[in-house]
Amino acid sequence: MKRMLLLLLILPLAFAQWEATAGLAIMTSVTLLAVVYMIGMGFGVNELQMMAKEELFQVIAVMLMLVLLVGSDNILNVITTNVAFKGTSTNMQGAALEILTDMRNQVETVFNTLRDVDHQVALQASKGGSCNVLQVGYSMSGCGGFSMLPTPLSMAGNIAGFALGELSAMIRLVQICQNYSMQFLLPLGIVLRTFKLTRGAGGFLIALAISLYLLVPMGVIFNEMMALTFLKAGTAADTSAELKPLVKMYGETTASPPVEECNELDAPGIMGNLMAGAGAVDCPASTTLADLGNIGAFVPGLGGLDSNDAKATATYCMLRAYTRGYLYLMLIRATLGPVIALLMMSAGIRTLTSIAGAEVDVSAISRFV
Amino acid sequence: MAHQGRMGGLVPKAAVLLLLMCAVSSADTIMCNGKYNLFAGTILPLVAGATAVTIVLIAGSFMFGTATSNPKLTLWAKTEIVQLIISLAAISIIMLAVTTFCNLDMKEVADIFGLSGTHPSMNVYDAAKDYLNGAAQYSHNALRMVRYHLEGYTVLSYLNAFMCDFKLGRIGLGCLFGYSGNTEQPFGGYGADIAALNIFFNGMIMAHFTALNFLFILLFIYKGFVFLFLPLGIFLRSLPYMRPVGSALIAIALSFLTIYPFTLAVFNLMGDTLLDRATGYAPAGVNMDKYDESVFPDSANAGSQMGISIGGESVAKCAYFGNDKGVCIAAAVAADFAAAGLLGGLDSSFFDEVENPAGAIMFSAYAFIAAVFFPTAALLASLASVSYMARMMGEEIDLSRITQLV
Repeated sequence: MKRMLLLLLILPLAFAQWEATAGLAIMTSVTLLAVVYMIGMGFGVNELQMMAKEELFQVIAVMLMLVLLVGSDNILNVITTNVAFKGTSTNMQGAALEILTDMRNQVETVFNTLRDVDHQVALQASKGGSCNVLQVGYSMSGCGGFSMLPTPLSMAGNIAGFALGELSAMIRLVQICQNYSMQFLLPLGIVLRTFKLTRGAGGFLIALAISLYLLVPMGVIFNEMMALTFLKAGTAADTSAELKPLVKMYGETTASPPVEECNELDAPGIMGNLMAGAGAVDCPASTTLADLGNIGAFVPGLGGLDSNDAKATATYCMLRAYTRGYLYLMLIRATLGPVIALLMMSAGIRTLTSIAGAEVDVSAISRFV
Repeated sequence: MAHQGRMGGLVPKAAVLLLLMCAVSSADTIMCNGKYNLFAGTILPLVAGATAVTIVLIAGSFMFGTATSNPKLTLWAKTEIVQLIISLAAISIIMLAVTTFCNLDMKEVADIFGLSGTHPSMNVYDAAKDYLNGAAQYSHNALRMVRYHLEGYTVLSYLNAFMCDFKLGRIGLGCLFGYSGNTEQPFGGYGADIAALNIFFNGMIMAHFTALNFLFILLFIYKGFVFLFLPLGIFLRSLPYMRPVGSALIAIALSFLTIYPFTLAVFNLMGDTLLDRATGYAPAGVNMDKYDESVFPDSANAGSQMGISIGGESVAKCAYFGNDKGVCIAAAVAADFAAAGLLGGLDSSFFDEVENPAGAIMFSAYAFIAAVFFPTAALLASLASVSYMARMMGEEIDLSRITQLV
């Protein structure tokens, strides 16, 4: 008992900020249990006394969990903030927020670029011409070659929008973890867990707080670590040829790819190329935007950007190469990373609630992923 | 003798129970602020009635068992009287919790934990309702912003222009003797925007309905749940083979009347971040006054509709996305007629306060967290509590399947 009192006394000294609040919550719990014990003693109800003793062990269990949490938090902070991130955060929650915000800015730029390209391409694709004098004439869509592009661009917009939404949701979760997890949810959970009737809810709040505070930022940061490793591997000399274009395009996605102006009545251009037997067109293996700007000049069989089909094909080749640069950002960093972090959080909630004495089936939350 | 000892131990328990029951007298309203007192006026008489019927049943069984010297019946009666006391204890705890929650000011809770921001002074039940009302409003605002963009983009993408040959400004001489010129869709390229926004439009409908669903569950708990579950729980717990059902009903009532509102009230204290309450239930920089719900921007004025319809592509865009529609339209008319081609030259500064598809997507993501993720977490906490409380009453109940309703 003396050891316990000593531990209780030194507990607030060992912590700072949220840890102090958690320490106060534990002291509150112990005080409440003491009141219950005294009532039991006063009324001669042995069951109440026994319950108070039993609950005290639960409080001790929570204290051990807290000590473990503080230790884990410190270790993870050291690991995650020592990595060469460009951010200036001193803890992993801040680092995760910086990573997510940076990633969201990139995705937003890509999304806006896609919108811009979509506007240009669809405008070209919609062009048609009519020549009609005294009810005699013809109409034609000389820019029909561009109409193959809006559909994949819609799909790309769909994916970019989804990534943007996913990152925004993650940012909101990390903001909540920064502002409320430890300062509010954890102490409240500790107090609620003191009583048998509210132990389930208390355990859930503790699990939610710890999962939000530790596992969500950890998932984001570890995924970013893997992403950086992948990028470094991609630029190394021994990397396979298939990987290099993806990596090389990464970071070059800020400028809008150019879309050539189409002439809606350019029938001679179309016919000329067909009659010349231009045959199959192979997109070049070029991967830089500078090359893509002149893509029409060296696409085999097009002979420059004189005709509409040359322009449409050049735009297709350019977008094909250009969108490869998005894939890594969209699919790995912006989509897979948050999914891993969310799965870690839901698994953490399940495990921690189980430890806290009331297992919660988090399949409903996992289904959001 | 052992049995007498056990019954003797019940006397102090009953004393504690009475103390708890005394606290109920200060529970003055239906969930604190209603027009009539559901607990005192409806629930308590029903609970008392169910208790009386159960006592009569048990007493009758005891007397019949004594008269017929049937030890099974008398033993059953003695066991059931203990269970009845346990049920009443559970109900007294509910009432104690209701009283406490009615008197607990969440603003003071926020002050205790040193939470920054504005926190309205209200009790737990009102705070829970306030959170779900806020979540519904927040998700509706997100829905409104997404819908507005979708409508604008859909209308604009169907806009066709025919530019006659031999142009003199916007007028083309090529159409004087026939139909010669070029056709274009100046805003045909909103496919990527529409595809992205469609997902979030569907998501926001689900989020808004989910928030309303949770709100209805809360109101049902406030106004009808305990009315049925508590008296029925007491009665069923005393019937042979029906104890698990009775226990489940009491555990559900206890959890949903205490844990569910309390968890939501806790989330309400996080409303400044979760619901952007400080900026009018919309993220900073989003002005909801710019996104009205009329199908056409100026649906009341036929002349305006006609003017917008024939005014040209920039005028149409201004009608939906102009920061200041009057200024934008005036500039658009001048720019369109000055330019020989389409899209005469209004830059994004005329639209940037309203046209914000990326902002709409971000807003939707925030709304999903506020209206689906956290209320579901409150439901999960309540279900965890149901399992725990049912276990305390000696039953194993798994209600995790109910989350599939989410």
